[in-house]
Amino acid sequence: MERIELLHTLPQVFQGREPQSQIWLQDVTFQKGQTYLVEANSGTGKSSLCSYIIGYRKDYLGTIRFDGKDIRKNRVSEWTSLRERNLSLLFQELRLFPELTAMENVQIKNGLTGHKNRQEIETWFERLGIADKMSAKVDRMSYGQQQRVAMIRALVQPFDFLLVDEPISHLDDENSAIMGEIMMEEVRKQEAGVIVTSIGKHMSLSYDKTFCL
Amino acid sequence: MMSLVWKLLRQHISIAQLLGFFFANLLGMFIVLLGLQFYNDVKPLFSQEDGFLKPEYLIVSKRISGMSVLSAGDKFGFNDEDVQDITSQPFCKSVGVFTASQYRVVCSMGVNGIARFGTDMFFESVPDRFVDTDLSNWKFDPEEGVIPIVLPRTYLAIYNFGFAQSQSLPKISEGVVGMIDMVVLLRGNGQEQRLKGKVIGFSTRLNTILVPESFIKWSNAKFAPEADLTPNRLIVEVKNPADDAIVKYINKHNLELEDDKLDAGKATYFLRVVTILVMCIGMLISILSFYILMLSIYLLVQKNTEKLRNLLLIGYSPVRVSLPYQILTVGMNGMVLVLSFILLYVVRGYYMDRLWVMFPQMQDGSLMPALCLGCGLFFVVSIVNIVAIHNKVMRIWNRKD
Repeated sequence: MERIELLHTLPQVFQGREPQSQIWLQDVTFQKGQTYLVEANSGTGKSSLCSYIIGYRKDYLGTIRFDGKDIRKNRVSEWTSLRERNLSLLFQELRLFPELTAMENVQIKNGLTGHKNRQEIETWFERLGIADKMSAKVDRMSYGQQQRVAMIRALVQPFDFLLVDEPISHLDDENSAIMGEIMMEEVRKQEAGVIVTSIGKHMSLSYDKTFCL
Repeated sequence: MMSLVWKLLRQHISIAQLLGFFFANLLGMFIVLLGLQFYNDVKPLFSQEDGFLKPEYLIVSKRISGMSVLSAGDKFGFNDEDVQDITSQPFCKSVGVFTASQYRVVCSMGVNGIARFGTDMFFESVPDRFVDTDLSNWKFDPEEGVIPIVLPRTYLAIYNFGFAQSQSLPKISEGVVGMIDMVVLLRGNGQEQRLKGKVIGFSTRLNTILVPESFIKWSNAKFAPEADLTPNRLIVEVKNPADDAIVKYINKHNLELEDDKLDAGKATYFLRVVTILVMCIGMLISILSFYILMLSIYLLVQKNTEKLRNLLLIGYSPVRVSLPYQILTVGMNGMVLVLSFILLYVVRGYYMDRLWVMFPQMQDGSLMPALCLGCGLFFVVSIVNIVAIHNKVMRIWNRKD
């Protein structure tokens, strides 16, 4: 997948309003290989944007296209394959499985494609300072630790675009720097595009373009 | 990896609910299968009764009372109007008439050429379609001169216990009816002819000496061409021998059913009704247990909605996340099927032993119908389960749940 286009898109709930936005009701293109920052105040539809792109919600006006194809027409199998191989999302609400350990949470995703081996995953755990938590259930971990697990899970798959929704809201600067580093290593390796959203505090990366939502 | 998915999705599984389903379904399935199997095993006992007439055939004659004996003979016969009237009754499928021989018949019988006894007698025939036997044996060819005959079973008893005993003759069983020598002398219309008779069987339900229709036609034409052929008895094929309307009609028109031939038919009919009733109860239990299972699975999916949704969002297909629940249900259905077969086998062995004691002539039937029904139910229920679970997961996909 080379590009994501938003053509005059607007969440249905915003209908009738004229939001001052560089994304809603505009024509925007995200290119593979580029790094984007979407800055937003809360309630401006940041998570909605991620949900639309991942195919979880369809309550928007206008059109979203992947490589020119309207994603409303995607079949179930196409979405499954996109989520498996082309699009990865670090959810703001993380969506980890509290019944599983940190490692199992990553493996359940990695198992779909076998993209990373166990050693590579363990290295990430170590670099992010949660190696001792690999066998701990995630509901026993702090939110900041869970965010790191969710990031690892987002990286253990092939992707053309990586969406990270407020990835560092509960991390200190040091850990967010490491997370940014690991993320960009993988993104470069896969030559993927990245869309980072944030309210206020954001990962310090060299962004190709910044949008204000 | 599937084990991780299973580790997630088995959360909230209620063992009590699944056990409830399991035993309810086992009971239902077992009752359905046992009902069918028992019906199949026991049915031949009723239908073996008479190989020559189906249970749906009734034999109707006019009632003879003291008064009618004094009046004219032809009153006992059925004219065309009577036959038409019976044919038009709703309980009636078709009507045939008994045609009697109109000439003199003298018959002598013996076994293996030893001592004979002779008697005057008569023949009757019914249309061939009413005779429930291999029709290739049920033919008369004047060239061959052999008449196939069906005797009332009582004749056999009379011979064995009355005649044979007093004359020191060998007793004969039904299996060796071929040993009976029968020479038949037909006389009438100034002619006489000697023919061979061949007893091909005995009937409990026919109170007459039955010969093929073709023979009666040929012989009446030859020995009594001018005789009046008004039938005295009718054979009526009915839809349901236990129908009240039959008895009402018979009484209203002063007719008579020949003894209690309805019994076998009635018994088979009641057997069928009881079987259907039992199977319906089994089916009902099965359906209710199926409901328990579906509710249980729905509840499970509902409780695990968030997990299922997250799996779908990280790239699992609906087919893949449905699979564990589908395997669970199909596996349970399969276990129920196997267990009910085992139960059926054991219970059938038990009742068959008892039945053999009572009815040694009973044949060992097949388990096939019950096997087929069981497998059929298994497939139908499993397919419904699979589809329902998939639909439920699709509702999560479509954010309807």
